[in-house]
Amino acid sequence: MMGNVAMAEGALAAGLDFFGGYPITPSTEAIEHLAKRLPEVGGCCMQMEDEIASINAVIGASVVGAKSMTATSGPGLSLMTETISMAANLEIPFVFCDVQRIGPGSAGPVTDPHHNDIGLIRFSGHGEFQVIALAPMNCQELFDLTITAFNFAETYRCPVYILSDAYLGHLHEAVYIPPKEEIIKGIVTRELPTDFSKKFSYFDEISGKYIIPKPPIMGTDYSPIMFLHQPHNYEGITSPKSLEFMEMLIEKIKSNMDKISITKEYKLEDAEIIIISYGLPVRTSYRAVDIARKEGIKVGLLRIVTIWPFPDEKVKGIVKNAKVVIVPELNYTGYIAEQVERVTNLETPIIKIPKVGIFHHPDDILKVIREVSK
Amino acid sequence: MSGIGPMYPTEKPDHPYVQLSMSGHLLGKYSSRFCAGCGYGMIGHIFTRVFEDEKLDPKLFPVVIGIGCYSQLLLLIHHASQKFLALHGRAPAMATGIKMANPKLKPIVFSGDGDCLGIGGNHFIHICRRNVDCVILVFNNSIYGMTGGQGAPTTLFGAHSTTTPYKMFENRSDSMKLALAAGASYVARTTVAHPRTFMKYFRKALKHKGTSVIEVITPCVTYFGRKNLDSLGAENLGIKGEKMDDTGKMIDWIRRNCIRINQSKLMSENELFNKYVIGEFRFEPDKPEYSEEYAKIIKLAMEEK
Repeated sequence: MMGNVAMAEGALAAGLDFFGGYPITPSTEAIEHLAKRLPEVGGCCMQMEDEIASINAVIGASVVGAKSMTATSGPGLSLMTETISMAANLEIPFVFCDVQRIGPGSAGPVTDPHHNDIGLIRFSGHGEFQVIALAPMNCQELFDLTITAFNFAETYRCPVYILSDAYLGHLHEAVYIPPKEEIIKGIVTRELPTDFSKKFSYFDEISGKYIIPKPPIMGTDYSPIMFLHQPHNYEGITSPKSLEFMEMLIEKIKSNMDKISITKEYKLEDAEIIIISYGLPVRTSYRAVDIARKEGIKVGLLRIVTIWPFPDEKVKGIVKNAKVVIVPELNYTGYIAEQVERVTNLETPIIKIPKVGIFHHPDDILKVIREVSK
Repeated sequence: MSGIGPMYPTEKPDHPYVQLSMSGHLLGKYSSRFCAGCGYGMIGHIFTRVFEDEKLDPKLFPVVIGIGCYSQLLLLIHHASQKFLALHGRAPAMATGIKMANPKLKPIVFSGDGDCLGIGGNHFIHICRRNVDCVILVFNNSIYGMTGGQGAPTTLFGAHSTTTPYKMFENRSDSMKLALAAGASYVARTTVAHPRTFMKYFRKALKHKGTSVIEVITPCVTYFGRKNLDSLGAENLGIKGEKMDDTGKMIDWIRRNCIRINQSKLMSENELFNKYVIGEFRFEPDKPEYSEEYAKIIKLAMEEK
């Protein structure tokens, strides 16, 4: 199954009701597949007139209670950021699949991968908010993590990104789709709450944690009178306490880091050299670690699946005893390497292995490992 | 004559619709944020009145509001209606999403001339093309009021604004022609000087299945009237004109500058220059509606599965 199709099937399994999209290489297969499959399950797939319209239609659908998503690439994401900011401030849940490609423009090698939206999605828009971003590394994970993304969106009411890329989106791999009954067990549905009295409380005084009410649905009783795209209280009236509102938008996710943050460790127990990676370069890194271990070099791999919010504590704990940290990334800037630098206070040397438009070969990473271990 | 304004008795009885507005519901009295002489108060009142008289279910008629002075209408219109303040120009796209995700709803879109014909022109064209079931109210005051009187796509030729200080020299865009070409099934234009006609058109649009576009010409005294002469639109008569610096003059000008659609058919292009043609341009109740057509596609897909 192709990566984009696996993502689309994952969304269908999670109960997708509305898809609004605009064709853009390399994400086009998602809308093509859903245009065929969504009507079969009673949903609606629309090809809108542009990316701005598609994200607005997605938000509109989400407001009336449909599980909705869109899929696009970097140029589309740039157009959509205004609406994403609005949706994040209104706490409207939606899922966003970003199939990243090279280059800022429309022409050029658009089917080559380039993890260049990592910074944009975190700092996008003109409001303050925290997003969740998941980086799968194969088609199976595209399927599984899309379901997880929908659950996160419904639970935490924030934009949830799936960071695919041009290679991953076009990769054909076997995908195991579990039986329907098994999938349904783990899905967070959009039902109306039974207890309306608690809908205004965001802060639980006993546990000291933020609680997130179910998303309101327009066209039912459980809806504010007004939706305004600025800090608001539950009635929809602009709240003068903007600072508290911003704190709530960010802390509702940060205080649930234990549930949101997904990381995977590989041979880290006695590792002196640590590779930190996400997305496609993880596949190469696994191979590099295996070969280096055979040569007797103590290398380990920390794989970050939830890249935003960045797992500060986890990385800090693992990097503490490391001699050196290697961060292979499919971009020159090294967005995640910068985060590691921030977490480690520049105490541990960090080596970036940048690549743009082309996959890392295990030798690229092995060469660095061998040099460092000398 | 028009400068005097209406006279009220000193002790006014309570207006029967005051309690229905948002401010009336919360505070018990009518208040608005609009400038003196603005037409939006009237539009908000007409909306509330139709909403109440027709006994519309607020849950079935969500109101999607664009950005402009009229965004403040959400504090004014019927308190029970569910309102969504969309982004600048994106209200039609959002209404499409709302309608398609829940076809039982019929969104009512509030939109302005800058919102609908400027930044959101593309979305406006495509919602008309799809014939999605909704009501789009385009409030045309020929100016960007909220940002302080800049030129709009609808500003009349020769008019003054802050970004066209000498005179407006661009061609004017006509939402009616745009909607007709794009394929909206109910297209009509009226003004706040004809409130009963507006109510009639609005009622008709609520019952109609398909995209209804109603343009409402509304006065902006503060930024349009004060800067322009009432000889605008009557250039060929060669009169000097005077500044339209109060509501009466502006309403008078709107009335004078409107040509009924039947009458306009006998007039040349030159005579219609800088004038507003009012009336019903198109009413096609049988045109296929998008969500109904999509329901057929869903049925087809389920059968083929």
